[in-house]
Amino acid sequence: MSDAPQRRMPRPGTLLVLAATVGLAVVWALPFVWALLTSLKPESETTQVPLRWLPSEPTLEAYRAVLGMSDLWVWLFNSVLTAGVTTVLVLLLSSMAAYGFARTEFRGRKVLLGLIVAGILVPPEVLIVPLFQEMSAFGLVDTHWGIILPQVVLPAMVYILTVFFEGLPRELEEAAVMDGASRLRIYWQIILPLSRPVLAAVGIFTFITTWNNFLWPFIVTADPDSMTLPVGLATVQGTYGVRYAEIMATVIIAGLPLLLVFVLFQRQIVRGVAFTGLAGR
Amino acid sequence: METRNPLRRRSFLAAALSSVAAVSACGDLAPGETTTSLRYWNLFSGGDGETMKKMLDSYRAAHPRVELEDVTLEWGDRYYTKLAMASAADRAPDVAILHLGRLPAFAPGGLIDPVRPDLLRQTGIRAGQFPPGLWRRSHYGNRLFAIPLDTHPFVLYYNVDVCRKAGLLDGNGRLRQLDGEQSVRSALRAAKRVTGAYGVVFESAGSEAVVPWRLFWTLYRQLDGRMFTSDGKALALHEGKLSRVLEFLQDLGRSGLSSTGMDGDAAIAQFSSGRAGFLWHGEWEVQTFLTSGTPFSMTRFPPVFGRPVAEADSHAFVLPHQEDRQAERHRLIYEFVAAMVRQSALWAEGGHIPAYLPVTESSEYAALQPQSRYRSVIDDVELDPEVWFAGSGSRLWMELSPVLGAVMDGRLSVRQGIAELREVTQRLLDTPNPTS
Amino acid sequence: MTMTSAVDSRLEPSEGSGRRTRSKLSRTGSGAAFVAPFLLVYVLFLVVPLVMGLVTSLTDAGLAGGRADFVGLANFAEALRDPAVWQSFGVTLVFTAVSAPLLILTGLIMALLTHHLVSARWLWRLAFFAPYVLPSSAVALIFVWVYQPEFGLADGLLAGLGADPMGWLSEPVPAMAGVVLTTIWWTAGFNFLLYLAALQAIPGDLYEASALDGASRWQQLFRITLPMLKPTTGLVAVLQVLASLKVFDQFYLITGGGPQQTTRPILQYIYESGFTHYRTGYASAISYTFFAIIFIVTLARYGKAIRRKGRPASHV
Repeated sequence: MSDAPQRRMPRPGTLLVLAATVGLAVVWALPFVWALLTSLKPESETTQVPLRWLPSEPTLEAYRAVLGMSDLWVWLFNSVLTAGVTTVLVLLLSSMAAYGFARTEFRGRKVLLGLIVAGILVPPEVLIVPLFQEMSAFGLVDTHWGIILPQVVLPAMVYILTVFFEGLPRELEEAAVMDGASRLRIYWQIILPLSRPVLAAVGIFTFITTWNNFLWPFIVTADPDSMTLPVGLATVQGTYGVRYAEIMATVIIAGLPLLLVFVLFQRQIVRGVAFTGLAGR
Repeated sequence: METRNPLRRRSFLAAALSSVAAVSACGDLAPGETTTSLRYWNLFSGGDGETMKKMLDSYRAAHPRVELEDVTLEWGDRYYTKLAMASAADRAPDVAILHLGRLPAFAPGGLIDPVRPDLLRQTGIRAGQFPPGLWRRSHYGNRLFAIPLDTHPFVLYYNVDVCRKAGLLDGNGRLRQLDGEQSVRSALRAAKRVTGAYGVVFESAGSEAVVPWRLFWTLYRQLDGRMFTSDGKALALHEGKLSRVLEFLQDLGRSGLSSTGMDGDAAIAQFSSGRAGFLWHGEWEVQTFLTSGTPFSMTRFPPVFGRPVAEADSHAFVLPHQEDRQAERHRLIYEFVAAMVRQSALWAEGGHIPAYLPVTESSEYAALQPQSRYRSVIDDVELDPEVWFAGSGSRLWMELSPVLGAVMDGRLSVRQGIAELREVTQRLLDTPNPTS
Repeated sequence: MTMTSAVDSRLEPSEGSGRRTRSKLSRTGSGAAFVAPFLLVYVLFLVVPLVMGLVTSLTDAGLAGGRADFVGLANFAEALRDPAVWQSFGVTLVFTAVSAPLLILTGLIMALLTHHLVSARWLWRLAFFAPYVLPSSAVALIFVWVYQPEFGLADGLLAGLGADPMGWLSEPVPAMAGVVLTTIWWTAGFNFLLYLAALQAIPGDLYEASALDGASRWQQLFRITLPMLKPTTGLVAVLQVLASLKVFDQFYLITGGGPQQTTRPILQYIYESGFTHYRTGYASAISYTFFAIIFIVTLARYGKAIRRKGRPASHV
């Protein structure tokens, strides 16, 4: 909901604001547009000087070449799988833990919660060397689990959910207890449904960061067949050499899934990212 | 048999299905795998990459039951980092390309496995089929770790038109043998008079410059200079030889006989357009000049300081470390390697000298011009010092080349250059060796 | 409904209603089982590597395994002497000092502009935030292409302005500038969203009241909007500094740390020490040193919040 002053007739100031916004948006769209136009050019036109924006004859040749690359599909699949499984696991494990912390009593509860909250202070980036050693000892290098498991550890999400669960009214749960419901049932049938917005926020945030994560999947994969899309794009050579139209076609294809998701679920994503970003990154 | 990870097949559907299995079974065996797979990593892109693809295709045609999976990663440190990490994690490919100069970084720590000579012999590949120098450098601690595919030396390119006008060619239209400092200088002077620009061009600047190292190592080894003691533990730099080499190079630049401050692309472009009589570079630009139609030829790098040696490295096949590799697998790998080296006349088109002597001495290779003009250097190649931080694209190259290039361009005095060279090499030497 | 008010009322209800009956519910059996699965992965993939890293940093362990000997603090001593550590840390600090203020400012400007427009808000959000959902390697591929000498877009636009081509990837200063610009394009949208949320939480009647007092839009901006955004700015600043200190992807993928390591951030040096040079022990020591710095910055953020709210909480 916008505040009152903007409801008036457009003033010169508003027009100025509009012009500035449009200008900035155009600058921001420029790299996208350039990549898109390049991907539609025949290879020979990509390195022309002076620059030409429009291809003389738009062609989908680059896309045909890139989509025929089996690697790309394998990477895409790996990305969908690892980001999907990571998100589900984060939601499940974090909400369970948060429920345990918010609604139950057990010995060492406070200490454990403190320990986990302290984990927010550990940036995963400083763990790459020992984590790689550990994963190679477990035989998890070049596996989906190797990519997924370390990314499941998001203590900030446990913290966010704990705070949220603590604030939920208890009346419903009490009624359920009277009816003899188990803890598992209360968690599953009362707490989770009540928490849909916050779970959506946590899930969206986790999915975007996992989908785009580069460093860890890059460390833990060596074989192109187990790489995620961001890692494969950056690591594997030679399949296209320096063919710019094809490279840009790959970029467009790589960016498309999440862009589509963003366009479709803009409201939820904007809200989820802002909430989790503010709450505990 | 490749059974560790079922995710080896290239088809999307197979990958999809088997990785669902991989997630639920955490990388269990894929039952019923019938064909044998062979995983091979290399770092060849561009022209070499295309030639390699052709060689692999002919291997595939001859071995329909082997599912050969080749992976090309980015040249240099990025490739070697991935290879070392894969070996450390026991996820390494069956066979991979390694620069022999890098062998001292890979062999002692167990990142690559020794070759089994008994099984290798069964494919008909023997020690005597390779130049003794390269074969020795394929060993570490008396054990064979590599089978060389080629050697790629530092060579002399010359512009035939320029050299003819400068009176540097013999009756057959070949460059007259240059021998010694004076002979090289006067040839450069003669060429400079013809071009009006440079006698020789070479890369001495640029962020990725490595020619300074190649050129320095060539000349320093011509004086039989050493970098390290034979145990590789202390510096053994020879002040007099260092200054002779560096003064020679700096003087070429100062007197305008050579280019200064050029990066590799610029040097190649200058030579290509006839603004220099000579180019000092690795042999792998041969296709560039054949394509551009430059009137050029190539020959061995001349003996400026006595010994006729030239810097080189060698692409070799190695066995990245795998836990219990069965004899069957060894055989499969050696057959692949044998098939590759036997086709290396094709490989030679890119300029590299085949290491496999039956090919090097074949008429097929001799007919390849100008690539075979410098093949005799194969017995006089100087690989990097045998230390863990050397080899193509290594720290030694990347850290020394800027210093050497600065001396060549006159941005550093010879004395400052030597002091810095000493400092850099000492620091590398002081770095605890992680492979022992 | 605007975002933050929704967040405040729905995602963080007051605690009073819950406390009352905790004891009664809590007695119905142990809840440790709920915590156990997360705790397991937490211990395995955070605590264990954290401890392993510390232990490794005291040894001369190498990537290939083999014998690792205890070397005490030798790795830490070497790190402090190693010019590459200082250089790469310097690169990281320069990047942070240059990029963080620009990223915050860009996000703020985007939010202020967009917030004042009634129409097509989704379009502006799309334009400014869309780059953030691209993977770093896609961003890098676009910008490596944009920064190509002569035929790249950056030089092309410069040529259009009559300027000479820049050595975007071959000269130290343009390379750093190129990565900073790329980062702004890529991630300013995140700060934009945070500011947008905060802007929407400012009560409208504040503006109405000041409008009745005859305040101009500029006066409103400086007297109401910016002061109200102050806490958000503090938060965004710490988040941004942390993110900038941990930079790796853009440098590794666009400049590769070059020319001659002049754009190699500390994380890349850790990666190279540990994996390219096989020095696991040494890389762990640098990691821990770097961790200490990050820790102090993070503590500065959470410490403040803890003092203020009695727990490491969250929003503005």
